Amino acid sequence: MNSTFLMRLLRLFVLLLFQVLVFNQIHLLDYITPLVIGYMLVCVHRGTSRSAILIWGFIMGLLFDIFTNTAGMAAASLTLVGMIQPVILKMMSPRDSAEDFVPSITTMGFWRYILFVLILMLVLHGAFYMLDAFTLSDWQLTLISIAGSTVLTTIIIIFIELLVRSKRKNSHY
Amino acid sequence: MRALIDLIIHNKHWFVFLLLEGISLFFLFSYNGYQRSVYFTTANGVVGSTYNVISGITSYLHLQEKNHELEAVNQELREQIYEMTQKIDEYERDSIKRMPALPLKYDVVSAQVVNMTLHKSNNFITINKGEADGIRPEMGVICSRGVVGIVYMTSRHYSIVMPLLNMNSKISCRLRNSEYFGSLIWQRGYADIAYVTSIPRHASVKKGEIVETNGYSDIFPAGLPIGVVQRIGDSTDGMSYMLRVKLFANFPTLRDVSVITNYMTSERRSLEQMAEDPAKKNNLYRSKDREAVEEQKKIQAEQQAEKERIELERIKEMLERQHSVANPTQSSTGQNTETKDTVR
Repeated sequence: MNSTFLMRLLRLFVLLLFQVLVFNQIHLLDYITPLVIGYMLVCVHRGTSRSAILIWGFIMGLLFDIFTNTAGMAAASLTLVGMIQPVILKMMSPRDSAEDFVPSITTMGFWRYILFVLILMLVLHGAFYMLDAFTLSDWQLTLISIAGSTVLTTIIIIFIELLVRSKRKNSHY
Repeated sequence: MRALIDLIIHNKHWFVFLLLEGISLFFLFSYNGYQRSVYFTTANGVVGSTYNVISGITSYLHLQEKNHELEAVNQELREQIYEMTQKIDEYERDSIKRMPALPLKYDVVSAQVVNMTLHKSNNFITINKGEADGIRPEMGVICSRGVVGIVYMTSRHYSIVMPLLNMNSKISCRLRNSEYFGSLIWQRGYADIAYVTSIPRHASVKKGEIVETNGYSDIFPAGLPIGVVQRIGDSTDGMSYMLRVKLFANFPTLRDVSVITNYMTSERRSLEQMAEDPAKKNNLYRSKDREAVEEQKKIQAEQQAEKERIELERIKEMLERQHSVANPTQSSTGQNTETKDTVR
């Protein structure tokens, strides 16, 4: 029970609340709904136990699923994201970064951070919407959903990041 | 051996990953036979009441719109009543009294929508009435404009409805004028468009024709409006028509719905109950037997009374006869008619 754990727990509930009450009501062009819960895994610092990331992702996904009657869909997608997050982060971290740095605009640079978020969100929404449709017969719709929500979620996450950046410039969790 | 254990410890996140994905996919695939795990959905009490509070707040946002809609429906109904009274007058004036038709009534439980999805492949609606209010799976759900869907699963105070906007939903329907029937399905995309399949090619279908329920299933009575034909197309195999239907129910603003709870006739229900519950059946028979026995007893008692009455009459008659026989003997013994009269 340390501050990292409590911070993550708090973030989990806040994100879940916002996702269910606000972001789930967005249906841009009828198909595009951002899954901002993915932010949970974006800001996990480097060097976190990989099992821990997976479990956090799974719990977040499962809670989301309970609220939206999509048993297992978000859980599976977020677990997948949790699996690749350390790999992508390792690939994209700057050369002289600290061993346990937190991915953010200040530590990674603006464009690099956007790319990082974009890749994670692409995996998340790709998995989620493919599991949702579960068929390739209306692949155009699925593709629109994936591409649109990935971009929209990335934009929202960047906004959140800009909002809270000053707060957590020197702390990491 | 040591190296193997090291390997496992070093790569334990792979095992965690496979385990968690396995659990997720298990949930995903057991979704359709899902009735048992009511705790993982919005029928769950905590989640349901959360949504209840939220929808209580947001419902105020649509009050104006709702009022207009109700006003419009009221107006329509008033016109219908007027038309009908006119018709009734007309018929009553020039015809002999007909046998009144058997009333086909169905009870409804009204409920509010507390949560709904519109943009997934399989959408569901959560409503705030459940088993405690007499709602069971497989009951029909309607709104003021038309058919909404079918109850899919229930908990004590909440139910999940599978609306027409679900790719697993299939409702048998017919065209109001020609009475050709087909089944209504939905394809992912628009929240107000559904399709009627397997309408034969020789059916003459027109745009604007109304699609309604056909009453073949036990879920909906016949004649509830579903939607209106918007375009006539071919099915994928080209053997039949596939009609594009604009649904009457306005799902995005849907708030008040009614669940049809007793469309099944009482006779049928009691029959089914009897079949379900053998103990009750015996009781029923026993009470019936008792009734019969009692009736028989009553009849016997009546017969007995009748017999007694006859017997009594007979005895009385006999006595009388004896009396009248005795009198002549008296008169013959020397009594005059005067005394005889006084005796009488």
